Amino acid sequence: MLILLCSPFGGLDNMVSKIIKCPKCKTHITIQGNPGERISVKCNNCNTKGYFTLPDSTPQAEPIRDSSAISIDIRNLTKHFKGVNAVNGATFKVKKGEIFGFLGPNGAGKTTTIKAMLNLIHMDSGQVRINGLDIKNDDIQIKKNIGFLPERVSFYENLTPIQTLNFFCELKGVNKSIIPSLIKNVGLEDAKYRKVGTFSKGMVQLLGFAQVQIGNPTIYILDEPMSGLDARWVKIIREKIMDLNSRGATIMFSSHILSEVESLCNRVAIIKKGKIIAENTISNISKYLRIKPRLKITFKNFNGKIPEVLKNLEGVEDIEIRGDSLLLSCDSLIRSKIISLLEKAGYVISDFRTFEPSLEDAFVKLVDGDA
Amino acid sequence: MDGFNLKSVYTVAKKEFLDNIRNKWIILLTIIFILLIIVFSYVAGGQTGEDTFGNMQNTVFGLLGISSLLIPLIAIILGFSTISGEAESGALYVVLSYPIRRIEVLFGKLLGLGSVISFSILIGFGLGGIIIAATVGLDYIKGYLGFIILSIFLGFIYLSLAICISSYCKRRITSIGGGIVIFFWGMIYGTVLIAVMFGAGYSMEDFMAGNIPDWFFNSVVFSPGDLYQTAVQRAFGVTSIDAMGFSVRIPDFLSMTTLIIVHIIWFVIPLVLAYYFFRKRDI
Repeated sequence: MLILLCSPFGGLDNMVSKIIKCPKCKTHITIQGNPGERISVKCNNCNTKGYFTLPDSTPQAEPIRDSSAISIDIRNLTKHFKGVNAVNGATFKVKKGEIFGFLGPNGAGKTTTIKAMLNLIHMDSGQVRINGLDIKNDDIQIKKNIGFLPERVSFYENLTPIQTLNFFCELKGVNKSIIPSLIKNVGLEDAKYRKVGTFSKGMVQLLGFAQVQIGNPTIYILDEPMSGLDARWVKIIREKIMDLNSRGATIMFSSHILSEVESLCNRVAIIKKGKIIAENTISNISKYLRIKPRLKITFKNFNGKIPEVLKNLEGVEDIEIRGDSLLLSCDSLIRSKIISLLEKAGYVISDFRTFEPSLEDAFVKLVDGDA
Repeated sequence: MDGFNLKSVYTVAKKEFLDNIRNKWIILLTIIFILLIIVFSYVAGGQTGEDTFGNMQNTVFGLLGISSLLIPLIAIILGFSTISGEAESGALYVVLSYPIRRIEVLFGKLLGLGSVISFSILIGFGLGGIIIAATVGLDYIKGYLGFIILSIFLGFIYLSLAICISSYCKRRITSIGGGIVIFFWGMIYGTVLIAVMFGAGYSMEDFMAGNIPDWFFNSVVFSPGDLYQTAVQRAFGVTSIDAMGFSVRIPDFLSMTTLIIVHIIWFVIPLVLAYYFFRKRDI
């Protein structure tokens, strides 16, 4: 086993350097290479030869030193289903009081990770700590403090919302006097004596939101809380999430839709094929991926052709023509250079805008790329 | 790690009862129980040519064949998808995210669904019993009470089997298959046994003459429905079966004690397996 001792991040050229331990004589060896590269290693002390694959460089979270600031701590979570790696060594942390987006395409392992976090499925290996407790040992204690809303939640068809919430209050040992306010909070008052079997999808989700708040949990885990709902419900659910967070709760929610995550979350983790390929704030992920801001330049006298002056200019990419405007990606440092070059070449600029990279850009780059 | 939480068990049981007592199949089958008792009592009464209603023993013996199928049917309907179906719909995810152990969920379901069956049997057979008692009298009341208790017991056995299937099967649709298999096992067991008997060299004449080997009888232990029928006969103090002109003595081996022990085995083994499957299950 080669043991990672220091941060894999090297210089600006994306080189990764790492100190590993020789498996035989335990001497420290420093290696360097590109992310994902397989490097032949020779120990100078005992001459043992071997290969080491450098990790794909992913934007790593800054280390969180204060452990009491962590709500959820997932390490190397792995789960196979019939030979398929559903989750493969997922590691991430959710800080106390944040809204954490758990993002990934369908089938990437989001639900499996969440289920393993709650002991609904038995992980093959790894560790899940929630509020400092291990889910394997303190399952009951942890669950007293969690509100969970599964993907496509379902309740008991023959029970009314009141009976349903009664049941869950009793399971958590919580006073039932909160039920009327919970029902009011999600706007299901008119339906409180109806059987849940007659509810629409959105109404069931709202009942789910009432359920999740039972016992005022400090951590909410919401699996695709907005999936399959129309715009009106999505807006309501977003407001609920912000409301819960403003009352101090930590929220982790999964999604495969970026727009849901981007405006709500402080930080995100992106999962792909069971591996966490990024965990950071949205702006840091964008920075890491070097997604350049888009520049839109509108001309008064545009001839509809790409200006010669930009064609071979270093740092300019993806030039696009839109009517009398030009769209391009570039580093912010050369913006003024571009403008002056264009003006020198006789172009009259009427408008000039920059668009900051969105999570969507980062997501597409990460998920579609080989990262 | 604190111990088994009885309050959680009770909470789940209450929820299961409330959710399933309104199941229209259960309501229908309870009504069928009441009608069956009345019809069979009337038939039994007609056979004697005296009272309109027959006494409790004749009534029960008449409907035993049907109740030994209907009770398993209720239990299977209630239990076959209680875990697989809820796992598929997602209701179980929410329950198991609460501070409750899987064994508590399992026992809660068993007790809750069991009380639906008990309720249905008590209403159906109880009401029928009151009608007979009012018209014919309290003859065989002890046997009749035994019949009600054994019927509830049969319900719990099939519930335990159904929950076991539900814990094992990944999906609702596969557990329907499992439910059908255990239901038909009870139905075809007698036929299978007769085939085995003929295979062992006995003839139709032997059968008609009541020359039936003890092992034939003793093997009722392999079919809860037949086990139940034999136990009900014992409960009425019957030691031999008179039917179609022949009389067969129930072997001594099948004493009430043995029958009850076998009932318990039929109940406990599937339940232990159910817990084993449920505990290691990925929900």
